[in-house]
Order: sequence, then C-alpha cells, then structure tokens
Amino acid sequence: MSEMWPAGYVPVLLARISRPDSPAIDGYLADGGYASWKKVLAGIATGEWTPSKVTDLVKASGLRGRGGAGFPCGLKWTFVPPKEKRGNKPVYLLCNADESEPGTFKDRVLIEKDPHQILEGMMLASFALGVRHAYLYIRGEMVHGAEVLNAAVDEAYAKGLLGKNVQGSGLDLDLTIHRGGGAYICGEETALIESLEGKRGHPRIKPPFPAVSGVWASPTVVNNVETLCCVKHILDRGPDWFRTYGRNEKNTGPKLFCISGHVERPGVYEAPMGIPFLELLALAGGVKGGRKLKAVIPGGSSAPMLTAEEVQSMPLDFDGVAAAKSMLGSAAIIVMDETTDIPKAVANISKFYAHESCGQCTPCREGTPWLNKMLKRVVNGQGKRQDLDLLVQVASQMGNGMTICVFSDAAIAPVLSGIAKFRPEFEACLAKAASPDFALTAPSDVTEKVAGRMAEGIHS
Amino acid sequence: MSGGAGTPVSEQAGLPRVGEHGALSAGKAVAFSPKALARFEKLLTRYPTKQAALLPTLWIAQGEFGWISREAVDYVAGLLGLSPAFVWGVTTFYTMYNRAPVGKHLIQFCTSISCHLAGAEEVFAECRKILGDLKPGETSADGRFTVIEVECLAQCDKAPAVMVNDDDFAIITKDNLQKFLGGLR
Amino acid sequence: MAKVTVDGNVVEVPNDANALEACRAAGVDVPHFCYHPRFTIVGQCRMCMVEIDGMPKVQASCTVPIRDGMVIRATSEKALAARNATMEFLLINHPLDCPICDQAGECQLQDNAVAGGLPVSRTSEPRRLTPGYDRTEIGPHVIADMTRCIHCTRCIRFCSEIAGTGELSLIERGGHAIVWTHEGRILDNEWSACTADVCPVGALTTKEFRFRKRVWWLDKTSSICPGCEIGCNVSLEHRDQVVHRFLPRVNPEVNDFWLCDHGRFLAESLNGRDFLKPLVPNGTLPSAPGGAGRRETNWGEALGLVHEKLKAAQAGSIVALGSANLSTEENWLLAELFGKTVGSPNVEFEADQGPLRRIPNRKAVGADGGFVKGTVAAPNAKGAEAAGVRKADGASALGKILAGSLVPDVLYVSDAAFSARTADPAFAAKLRKAKFLVVHARVENPLTDVADVVLPVSGMTGKDGSFVNVQGRVQRFDAAFVPPPIVRTDLEVLLHLGRLFGSFETRWTAAHVFGKLAAAVPAYQGLTWEEPAVTGLPPSSSPAAAYDVLRPPRTSVDDTDKLPALAGKA
Repeated sequence: MSEMWPAGYVPVLLARISRPDSPAIDGYLADGGYASWKKVLAGIATGEWTPSKVTDLVKASGLRGRGGAGFPCGLKWTFVPPKEKRGNKPVYLLCNADESEPGTFKDRVLIEKDPHQILEGMMLASFALGVRHAYLYIRGEMVHGAEVLNAAVDEAYAKGLLGKNVQGSGLDLDLTIHRGGGAYICGEETALIESLEGKRGHPRIKPPFPAVSGVWASPTVVNNVETLCCVKHILDRGPDWFRTYGRNEKNTGPKLFCISGHVERPGVYEAPMGIPFLELLALAGGVKGGRKLKAVIPGGSSAPMLTAEEVQSMPLDFDGVAAAKSMLGSAAIIVMDETTDIPKAVANISKFYAHESCGQCTPCREGTPWLNKMLKRVVNGQGKRQDLDLLVQVASQMGNGMTICVFSDAAIAPVLSGIAKFRPEFEACLAKAASPDFALTAPSDVTEKVAGRMAEGIHS
Repeated sequence: MSGGAGTPVSEQAGLPRVGEHGALSAGKAVAFSPKALARFEKLLTRYPTKQAALLPTLWIAQGEFGWISREAVDYVAGLLGLSPAFVWGVTTFYTMYNRAPVGKHLIQFCTSISCHLAGAEEVFAECRKILGDLKPGETSADGRFTVIEVECLAQCDKAPAVMVNDDDFAIITKDNLQKFLGGLR
Repeated sequence: MAKVTVDGNVVEVPNDANALEACRAAGVDVPHFCYHPRFTIVGQCRMCMVEIDGMPKVQASCTVPIRDGMVIRATSEKALAARNATMEFLLINHPLDCPICDQAGECQLQDNAVAGGLPVSRTSEPRRLTPGYDRTEIGPHVIADMTRCIHCTRCIRFCSEIAGTGELSLIERGGHAIVWTHEGRILDNEWSACTADVCPVGALTTKEFRFRKRVWWLDKTSSICPGCEIGCNVSLEHRDQVVHRFLPRVNPEVNDFWLCDHGRFLAESLNGRDFLKPLVPNGTLPSAPGGAGRRETNWGEALGLVHEKLKAAQAGSIVALGSANLSTEENWLLAELFGKTVGSPNVEFEADQGPLRRIPNRKAVGADGGFVKGTVAAPNAKGAEAAGVRKADGASALGKILAGSLVPDVLYVSDAAFSARTADPAFAAKLRKAKFLVVHARVENPLTDVADVVLPVSGMTGKDGSFVNVQGRVQRFDAAFVPPPIVRTDLEVLLHLGRLFGSFETRWTAAHVFGKLAAAVPAYQGLTWEEPAVTGLPPSSSPAAAYDVLRPPRTSVDDTDKLPALAGKA
C-alpha cells in the first residue's frame, strides 16, 4: 500500500489505519487514545474543564464541517439554546455516518479502521454540548462498519469510558449505533433526524433548525464523522496546531480527500486543507493510463462539474473550490479522462437522483425523473432538438428554494454544469439521433415562448 | 400480488390488475425467536420512543425471516404500537429491506458514477447473463442468486464495487467476474 | 395581532398565522394543495410559493410564520414563475382526462390550471401509471385512483392526525410513491369519507357519490345532519328535487371540517316520497290496514276530520307525539296546540338511543377526549324538550299505550318515523290500538300502514327550521327545494290545524314561529332566527338552563374562509 498522503506529511486522521488490529481499543489506548477524554473528565471536578472551554477550542481551531456544507463547527454548537431556555429538554448529538454521496468513501475508512477516534470525538462533543445520549447513524450498506462500531462501543463501555458516572466524573454518557435502511437522503441532517425517529427520511422544514428542535423535538447537533474526529485531534493538540494546516484562517486542518474515477490509484488521501488539485492528482498516480484529463467533479456528485482548465490552479478547500463555481462538498473528487462520455455520465448521475428523491416536494419528485427520462433519451439516440434547452429550463425551475431541502439543487448541478460546459457532446448525441427534428412536443419556438411567459410570470 | 385493499370497482375498472407496491404474504403468521425478542427488548432501552426502534426492529425481522412480509409488517407494527400502513411506508422508503425472498447470494452491483466510469453497467449485465439471463431483482432458478443494481456503496476507490449479502467485494470486472461468482458457490 | 403587507396592502393577522393565511386574509388567493388548517404543516406541494422581503429565495408561504412588518409579494414575477413551475411539475404526470374524472368542477388542480397554468405541455415522456392502484375500493366508502394523486398527503394526515387510525401511508419513495393502505387492510374509520373531502383532486372519491352528478349542476343548501344529536353542519347538495350528497359545512364549534360516514350517507335517505295527498278513512274506524281502508282526499277534508275528532275527544284522552326529528318550531307548535289549545296533558316525544357517534374536535364546547359525542340517534331531542314536549317514559302516555293500559281517543303522531321502532309492525299495532290514529309521513312504514289519517309532509328537504344539538346549540337548516304542490311541511300542517282552532295563522313561517318561541321560552331570550347557527349555547343537562348562559365567541380565525370546497355559510 502506497502512502496515502504527500511526502513528508505526517498523517493525523489516517495515522493509525495501517496498524494491525487498528479498530481495537487496546491499540488505540496504547497510541495515546482517549487521553483527551480522560483529561476532560478528570478536569470536571476541578473546574479546569468546562463545556464552553471545549467549544471555544473548537471555535478557535477554525474547524468547518466535513460533511459537505462546510459550516463552522464551533459556531453550530453555540446555536443550542442555553439550559435556561431549553428547560428540561435533553440535548442530542448525532454523528452523521450516512455517507452516501456518490464518490465519497472517507468516513468508511475511519469507521472501519479507527472507530475509537470517532467515538472519542463524539464523547468530547457530547461533553461540550451537555449531551447524555449520543447516536451515530450509519448507513445501512455499511454492515461491516456497523459491526466494528458496535464492538468499539462495547469496548468503550467495558473500559468505563461510556455509561453512568464515566471515570468517576459524575457525568453520564450513552452512545448508540443506529443503522439506516438504505436511503441517500438520510444524509441530510433533518432527514437523518426523521429516520432516527423511525420514520420515512423526509427532510424537515427549517426553521426550526435542529439546534433548537431536532430529534424528539429536542436541541440536536448533527456532525459528520470526519468533523468529530477533528474535534478529538483539536483537543489533543490544540487549535493553534490545527490552524497550521491550510491556506488561510477560513480553511484549516487536515483533510481527507476521496479520489475515484479515472486515476491510477483511487483512494482516500489525507493532506492539508487547500492542497492544489494537481498535487493531489499526482499523489493518486495521475490520470489513468496517462490519458488526458477532461472533467472533474470536486465534491461528490452534487457538485457542479469542472473542466480540466478550471481545475488547473484550484486549491482544494471550501473557498478555493467555491471560487471555481463548484463546491468542496464531501471532498469526493471524481476524475474523468478524455474517454469519458459526459452525457452518459450526467445521465448516470441523474438516475441516481431520480432514484433517491424522497418524493415529498413536487418539483423534485416530478423533476428528477423527468430530467432522467430526457437525458436517457438523449444518450440513447432518441433526443430531440429542443431537449437540451428544455433540460436546462426544467432544471432551472427545480432549485433555489423550490424545495424543502437542497437535494433538488444537488440533482440539477451536474445537469446544468454538464450541459453548459460540454454542450457539443450533447449536441453530438442529438446529431446521431434518428430524427432529431421530429418534435413530439411543442415546436421549439412555442417552447421558447412558453418559457418566456413563465419567466415573465404571465397568466394565460 | 393483489392490487391492494379492495377489489376494483367492477363496472368501472375492468379486470383487476396486479399491483407492485403491496407487501407479499408469507402465507403464515410470523413471530420473533426468543433470542431476537431479547435483542428487540434491548433495543427499546436505547431510545426515548418506541417508534425510533423501527428501523433496527425491521433489521431484526429481516434477519429472522429473510425478508419483510405482510405478516412481518403486522408483527412489527404490533410490537411497536404503530399502524401497519406506517410500518410498510417506512419499509418501502428504504431500499435494503427485502420485499420478497431473495437468493442465497444477494449480489448488489453499484452503478453510480465512479463505478459507472469503471464500466459497472456492463459487468452487471454480464453477471445477469451468466446466471441465466436474470432480470434485475430476479432470483436464479436454483434459488442461489439474486442480482440487483444499487446506488453508491461508498467503495468508489474499488470500482466497480459489489456487495454480496453483507460483504463488500472490490473491483469486480468482466475479467474476474467468473472467478468472483465461482467463489460464491 | 401583527401587521403584514401583502402586495402592498396592509392586513392584520393573528400572531400565530403563517404567510399563506396572511395572503388569504388580504384577499390574495394563493393556490395550495397540502396546506389544511387542521393538519400539520408539511410544506411539500410547493404550490403556495411567494416572495418575502429579506428572504433571498422564494418561500412556500404556508411554512413561513408571519412577523410583524413582514412584506409578502404574492403576485410578483418570481412568485408566479415559481407557482407555474410547480403546476408544470404536477401536470406532467397527471392524467389529462378531466372530462371523465368525477372531481372535475371541484378539483383544485383543475382550478389552478385554468387560473394560471401554461398553454401547452412541454413533456413528451410517457405519463406515470399505477397499475393495480387505480379505481380501487380502498375502503367501504372510498375509491382510490393513484394515477390522479398529487402526493399532498392530506388524506394520510387526516387518518393519522384527526381520526387517529393511520390507515394510509406513503408507500415507496420519489416518483414511485403512492398513497395506500397496508396490503390486506382497508381504509375504514368512522369518518373515512373525509379523506375524499380533503383530497384536492380525484384521487380519492366516495363510492356513493362517484359519477352520480356533475358537481356544477348541484345546488347547495345549508342544512344540519339528521343522523344524531351532534348536529353536524352540512351542505345538502341536490338537483331536480333529488338529494345527491352531504358535505360537511365548516363549523369550528361543532363538526369543524368533518362529518361521519354514518351521517354523510344518510343524504340518500332524504329522497323518496310515498304520499302525495292526504289519506282519510274509507269507511268505518279503525281503517283496514295496508291502505285498503283509506282514500285520497284534500287537506280541507283531512284536517277537518282531525279537528272534529279532536273536539269530540276527551282532552285527557288525546295523545300527541312530537319528534326529535322535527324542528324545535314544529315541536313548539305541537306543544302549543295540543297542550294549551286542546288541553291535553299528553304531549310527548320519544328519541332513540343510538350507537355512539363521534366527531373529532378538541376545541369544541363539551368535547370529551377530543371528540364531540352523540348518543341520541335523532337531531333535535333537546329542541323538542325545550319546546315543551316532554320525554316519554314508562309512566307517560306513550308508555301506557305500549303497555296496553291506555287506549287514547286520538293519537296524533307528528312524525311517522319518530323512532326506529316504527319499522316494527308489532310496535305499530300497539299504537293502532288508539281509536283514531293520525300520522305525518313522507314515506311508508308499518305505522302509516295502519293509520286512519296520513298527512303527506315534505321531510327535511322542503322546510326550514332549527334544531338544538347535544351542546345545546341552536342551529338552523334551510329548505332545499319546494315540495310537490299538495305536500306540506309539518309546520304548515300544524298551522292549518291550529287555525281551525283559532290559535294559529297560516301565514306564519318558521321564522315567525321562532320569534314567538323565542319570546315565550325564557331560554331562547335574545336569540334571533337570522343567526342561530352562530349563537351557540354551552352544554347543560337541562337545555332550559343552558340557554341562559352567554354565547361563546366565535374562533378568532374564520375557518370557513380557508377551504372553499367545504365552505358554506352557517
């Protein structure tokens, strides 16, 4: 196994993954694991450690959520109402391990190879938030991961790191692993909450935000697996150390990147936040077979596609990818070489979204299959001249607040970016079509007029 | 599968048609084994509401019965004090609860983007052909294989990725497909 | 209260209102499907999109709680474009067969499409079909057709949140989702047809009304359900003197938006008419049963005969039966005529104890466990009592007649179907023991078979009047249509008979009688005919005492404005 980090870089999150028996607690303890947790527990009585101190450290580290949105983690924690406002309601911490974004597999490595790292992060976050029962929601497909985590939780209970009066600190903390049933949308935090409550994973209307009213109508913080691992390391080594990683104050810390698609050595790589895309690509052995790079999806299938030119000087952090008009998302980098059929790839992604739409909001429930049907026709040589414009028009009326959650925005990103950046390829599909000018729908000038009227909001 | 609760209105609907969304009958009442019941009871202690135990309880049911039948839904609904319709609604929202008996090996091919780029669709088609021209979701005549297409398995670095029952398999290509299937026998 | 600006107009709304309610309060009809004032807000149809100042994205107005000073743009370009988009998405898979859909004419999807839809369809993909889930009896009263469903989930929320029975759920997800029961189970609860009421499209319709009548032909009359003492407000919908259905009429104080299946499907029972002319004895008394001993005549002869018999009889040997099915006005006239003018001590009524009927309404006066409950199987037992007609018992005249210890000279039955027992020939035979038996009737039953005089009356459809429900609430119902020429209302019959005694005037209407009643009965003081339905009275074991209590205020938000399909002025 080649090194999964740049030369000279000392891995943090992946430090233990190649140790034999890395998931076991003995090895973790031997490597200095749970030191922060024990330190904090011991400091409760003396007043050395308070929840706000942990929160302040996380805030000072500049840690931004690793799940996709990149929201500052410490700030998110402060949204939980103080005790005098929330009354008797408990606070819940949910670790989001519903890693389902196509192209993303970083959490799986952490879960399967170093679960105690996650648990310690959850414990520390629980202390900071006043949580008495934390849950880890793992996606249904990760059967092995759930087994590893359950074993780790049992070990932690056995070692007195969880349970009643942990390490004599007077603190009670329970932790439960909850396995989903197979639904991408449950990675959305409010859908995850619904699913944990035993319901269909329908995202909720916000506000109220989970921090105010989440699972079981109680204040709830949902954090990604990698984010919580970072919390552990921040408590181990301090926020100043954490901030030494990264291009600037807004993009800090070590970061996991998932590279897949047409590269020589796909896998999870750890690097400082902000590593240039080309460096990471080189680390992964470059484009497969030495072929030319054509396109990159930088943050999981929901992120707009970028062309080879657009990624040349792009640093891989939240703001760097945003500057290129895409998003870092889950840092799932999908590389497509010159042989890639972009329309087919876009059709494939749109199939995913049509399949995974929860179905509550009209534009998404009806729009995602519509986009998929059109794209399927286009790539199968049954496209029509007006299809490309219609695809863009339909996709354009699905996002930007038209739905409860941003699933719909995610579903249209690959369609809109794919057509905008690789339109000739789509047109080539149409050219191959049997009778592209034979319009089953309204002629395109009518379509345009209708679209115009829609834009103007004129009633017929 | 019948078309649902009642029969179509004869004078309006014509012949009854076969529905595809209803729970199949196992043909008999079902119940958890004492061991499974113990697991269920333990589950209840982990959540503030009974309802929250629904997904894990469905997993226990699938473990016990192999799939979620009409009777299993009624049983789970009874255990948790939920309406059977609600339980079936939740069951069908998630893709991993089997709604019919499956073969000994449930082969799940990921065809999402990274696996697609590695040619997963062709491998999926090839696999079905080898096992006797199976349609997606169909079980082979000998009852040993069911082949389905699934969305991203979070193993994109091992594309094309496959899951068989609960186990992960990496890089299943047309070249090693025969060997892979051979290993399952 | 908070001030909200909608399209430039400032409107005051309660603090707990949402932006959709504010728009409607301002008279801007923002279309919506999933919103219903009694259900959880789910915000998922995305039809009620508006722009709100300070929010960069368009918003589903039902999901946005109002703030004082909020500025809503409900008809801005962006808002209309968003709503048009949702309509387009809803229509790409909805069948284009309005002409054969029974919801046409009262379909919110159709209305919205007509009001603001696109002139052409841009999709050429095949429409979604739901084989096995179309045109299926999903329960005893409801037919489901999932090809028409727009996934607003109102029916699901009705069953889980209002009925508490949870028969329905979304099955599958995304574009494959359907609304259905668990396999092998049916949609069957006391109010199952309400799911069809709340369904904005033709996905759920009632078996009993489906394809009976195009809704635009229906005339609607405000009425009261005759099924039990709850007195649910209904819209009696009819055409060409035929009643086609009841729909619940919103009354937050009584039935709210709901109606039980039992009451709803009584609509049918208001049809049918067996008597068009009065019948009098053909020869000797008692008349031969089965109608053979009677002949048709005119009102003059029939009432003359009754008048004559009453005058000839001993006052103490005259028994008049009121009815919990008749209006309070009619019962009062009966009590006045037979009690005061004729001087009989035997003016009484009997009402059946029926199965428990319930209407979900947590906030209603007298609600018990979230339900308004009724156990008397007739709508106006309290009204009859308030009018001075006493409740029959073993010791009263009716009890004695049934026991065989009293054979009255005249038994005057103002409602041939006053009790379910009248369907029993043995029961009728006991009443027949009277020397002279007069009945008011619309349809035949064992009692009309044996009566000496049958006076043909209109039934509820032909008259107006008021009932007093279980809560002690006075509620008016209106005449739906004019009965055939010779048929009279019960009120008219009593007025004509009373005129022969010089007590009543035939020009009196129900409104007149109500005025006299209100003047004479202390409990009715201050009540007016014009608005009895909103002058509710708190419940009490004695209606007479209850009427003294002040009228409860109407709920702050006028719910009748919220759901046009069900609305109708009380």
